Amino acid sequence: MTTTTAVRAAARVVGAVKVYGGGDTAVHALDGVDVAFPEGRFTAIMGPSGSGKSTLMHCAAGLDTLTSGAAYVGDTELGSLDDRRLTLLRRDRIGFVFQAFNLVPTLTVAENITLPLDLAGGRGDPEWIDALVDVVGLRDRLRHRPCELSGGQQQRVAVARAFAGRPEVVFADEPTGNLDSRSGAEVLGLLGDAVRRTGRTVVMVTHDPVAAAHADEVVFLADGRLVDRMQSPTADTVLDRMKAFEVRS
Amino acid sequence: MNASVRLSLSSLRAHRRRFAGTFVAVFLGVAFLAGTLVMGDTLRASFDSMFGEATSGTDAVVRGADAITTPGEAQGIRQPVPTSLVNAIERVPGVAAAAPNIQGAGQLVGADGEPIGGQGPPTLAGNWITDPKLNSYRLAEGRAPARSGEVVVNRGAAKKGGLKIGDTTVLRTPDPVKVTIVGLATFGGEDGMAQVTFTGMTRADAEKYLTAKPGEAAGILVRAGPGVGQQELVHRLTPVLPKGVEAITGQESAQENTDMISSQFLTVFTTFLLVFSGVAMLVATFSIHNTFAIVVAQRTRENALLRALGASRRQVSASALAEASVVAVAASAAGLAGGIGIAAGLQALFPAIGFPFPDGDLVIKTLSMALPLVVGVVVCLGSALLPAVRAGRTAPLAALRETAVDASGASRGRAVIGAGLGALAVALALTGVLVSPSVWPAGLGALLALVSFVILGPVAATTAVRLLGGPLDRLRGVSGALARRNALRSPRRTAATASALMIGVAVVSLFTVFGASLKATMDQTVSRSFAGDLAVSNPSFGAGGSGLSPRLAPAIQRLPEVDTAVGLGRGVAEVDGRGRALTVTDPAALARTFDLGTVQGSLARLGTDGIAITRTEADRLHLHTGDTARLAFTDGKKEDFTVRAVYGRSELAGDYVITRAAWAPHRIQDSDTLVAVTLKSGVSADAGRAAVTKVAAEYGNPQVQTRDDYARSSAGGIDMMLTLVYALLALAVLIALLGIANTLTLALHERTRELGLLRAVGQTRAQLRAMVRWESVLVAAFGTTGGLGLGAFLGWVLVKASDGASDTAFAFAVPPARLAVVALVGLAAGALAGLRPARRAARLDVLRAIAME
Repeated sequence: MTTTTAVRAAARVVGAVKVYGGGDTAVHALDGVDVAFPEGRFTAIMGPSGSGKSTLMHCAAGLDTLTSGAAYVGDTELGSLDDRRLTLLRRDRIGFVFQAFNLVPTLTVAENITLPLDLAGGRGDPEWIDALVDVVGLRDRLRHRPCELSGGQQQRVAVARAFAGRPEVVFADEPTGNLDSRSGAEVLGLLGDAVRRTGRTVVMVTHDPVAAAHADEVVFLADGRLVDRMQSPTADTVLDRMKAFEVRS
Repeated sequence: MNASVRLSLSSLRAHRRRFAGTFVAVFLGVAFLAGTLVMGDTLRASFDSMFGEATSGTDAVVRGADAITTPGEAQGIRQPVPTSLVNAIERVPGVAAAAPNIQGAGQLVGADGEPIGGQGPPTLAGNWITDPKLNSYRLAEGRAPARSGEVVVNRGAAKKGGLKIGDTTVLRTPDPVKVTIVGLATFGGEDGMAQVTFTGMTRADAEKYLTAKPGEAAGILVRAGPGVGQQELVHRLTPVLPKGVEAITGQESAQENTDMISSQFLTVFTTFLLVFSGVAMLVATFSIHNTFAIVVAQRTRENALLRALGASRRQVSASALAEASVVAVAASAAGLAGGIGIAAGLQALFPAIGFPFPDGDLVIKTLSMALPLVVGVVVCLGSALLPAVRAGRTAPLAALRETAVDASGASRGRAVIGAGLGALAVALALTGVLVSPSVWPAGLGALLALVSFVILGPVAATTAVRLLGGPLDRLRGVSGALARRNALRSPRRTAATASALMIGVAVVSLFTVFGASLKATMDQTVSRSFAGDLAVSNPSFGAGGSGLSPRLAPAIQRLPEVDTAVGLGRGVAEVDGRGRALTVTDPAALARTFDLGTVQGSLARLGTDGIAITRTEADRLHLHTGDTARLAFTDGKKEDFTVRAVYGRSELAGDYVITRAAWAPHRIQDSDTLVAVTLKSGVSADAGRAAVTKVAAEYGNPQVQTRDDYARSSAGGIDMMLTLVYALLALAVLIALLGIANTLTLALHERTRELGLLRAVGQTRAQLRAMVRWESVLVAAFGTTGGLGLGAFLGWVLVKASDGASDTAFAFAVPPARLAVVALVGLAAGALAGLRPARRAARLDVLRAIAME
């Protein structure tokens, strides 16, 4: 492919179609989506429930496969990869933050942070990880188990883990969905800082306009299609945009 | 329908997979138990019918009235009856026919030069009774023996030895007799009486080779004429019989024979199997308990919700128990069917391996169905009882709590009770070993040790898994570390899973250690008391084999290489009212080839009225050298012997020694069990052995072994027993493995979301499989280590207690190679058990796993 845009895409999908089921009951979760997530940017994917935003993220991150179309991380086309290569790609080039149950309960905080690196059998960059621990503010909790942490602390550990291997892109799936607003703001702040201060790329699925406001750009999905994009969003503009969907539907 | 029952049924339907392991464990245990019982009854019935059919033509048996039974023998040795009595019996009114029944030991040599049988069942030879109704064998092919050297053999023996009509072979009686097979016979419609081999000779040959004196027979078989009943026949016979000879009915005789087989073979056989099905059931109890405990734990939220909605404790418990009873009844019922299937399968299999098993219906008694059913249901319900009670105790609030990592199990109370019991167990065992040697306190201590191990399991699990898993972190990286942490998650669960395997491995190692100790004991016995260079013997086991020709020892003695060759024969007599085995030999030579310990008096001149006795027997009978002992022989004669020597060591020489001359008047069939040879100085063992082997070849080719080989081969039967024990214990180990696999599957189900997460952040399928497998191996390693330790300790206690409690000195031996194999098998089994759960876990859909609530 030829990159004409000034900014390279960390991840993108082209003509993405995802159909669940078949025949009369077939559901088009994605119905021809083209979207690129530019490098060094914080992009939020928004849309009402059932809009296909989670499916889009899952397919872009190699957790799910497209029915047709293509998904890329960097220049790698995911559809051509078998399960092993996909796993290695997730391990080495992608970071994840899920809504809940992000951590392995038997591992300590420190071990959870370095889990993808340990799985790869490498040691990663100790200085980088050390810096991360300070950024997420968990230095005194490193030897604790996840069950000894609050929900907000757990999500901060998850954020540290997501960035531990310096992935090309970090996907976050409703990372603040289970948190109170203060903890949520902390976690979103961390994600934003990672992008702005260290040039990482973050793609976040959310239905919360306040969360989306932390992003550089918001892409709106409805009925499996990309319907709008918004640069430099604020909570109010996003909320207004969302309300417009609801009126239409 | 009751609400509890409805709940449990719907839950069973929803979680069929969870109970698969429980079902299989109960099924296997019940099937094994039922199969054993049904097979035992069927075998018993078929032996009954076989004997009934074979001896239906015999209405009365005339035989010696008194039998001398030595310890360890089921059937006594009777005084022979004179064959001349046949004529007198035939003259009794109502007697249609009478025939002498001459019987002795006779081992056939097969087409390959190897003896047939001899490993357990008797190898018999006798006269071919010409009256077909009196003969319990039927001619199936060929003809009856007519000339000297012609024989009929039972078809089973012929098949086994690759012999056919017209073949010439050797019959060891024990003197080798050249025989030609002219006919094949059947017994009760089968190829033989179980594995017993029979060779029928002409009456003249039988008298010549099988009895000490011509004109003697083991008994006389009598057939009644029309209209005379068996009882009536006995009444008519009795007046013509001399003193010391009795008549019994044919039915009584058949009953005695079947009883003997039952007590000697079937009862031992079925008891043996029952013990092992007991072990299997015990192991099953642990895996069943574990499954229910996990299922209840997994259902905490559900049960809490029920409690919050108003279900009583009793209702929740009852619903859990109802679930268990459905599984119990279904699995036990299936097990009964399986047991019948096993018995039927064995019935089909036995003839294929040359063991006659009469056709006919399986004998299925109520007891053999009721007992396994009850055992299966009780084991299953009993195992589910505690978890069910725990389910009832669920607090309604638990519905709202997140179930955290279960740290229970390692409580202080448990540690204290377990340690206390363990100390008591060791104390009891040591008392039984050291203070007052006895097997009972030692056995009780052993049992308590097992219980304390089970109680201490959860306490020990944490440390043990940490220790055993230590190397994993370094060797297997993060997969190993995760495996170790997972095994540590619930110490109680890990311990319960491992306990099942621990018991299995403990029993295996107990037998291994005990077997090795027995072997060492035999080895020690031979090397301590056998002072000769070579041993000549016919390897046999149980009642089989025919021993050695008494003419072999003198023949070997004539060799220029040989210093002394002494044959040991066997006689029986009653001493002080009890049957005793006598060693019949040349006592002077015996003293030269065996180390008899301290000898008081001399064995050199026992003569025909002297006897040598071991110290222990002499002490028991309060005899000293110069005293007189009265011996009663099978021929009814009583003779006084002067004690001329008392010796210390009896292991190979036996407790009583008399000369051949003293035994000659009372002898039955002559045979030696062992010929001990000392070589002249300067003759190498190889040269001596070659010379002796050459001579032995003319006497039926018995085995000639050096002292060391002889010591080793005396323990050969033990390996055979051990193999059988291992095969039977495989069932218990299998059940334990199913338990590990089942626990693992359930645990993985609990961790679905975590597995999804691991896969999402980059754990490959191979890494996930390794993680699960290693967890399984760790649990197995814990169980195996505990089992090895416990088994070795129990083995030590058992050996030491037997050593102290009996006269025989028991040696204790730990076979490191064998135990290492046991350990490796345990670990490999763990890896095997983890295979399926690992595969299933690896197939997990990542997205669905993460999304699972």
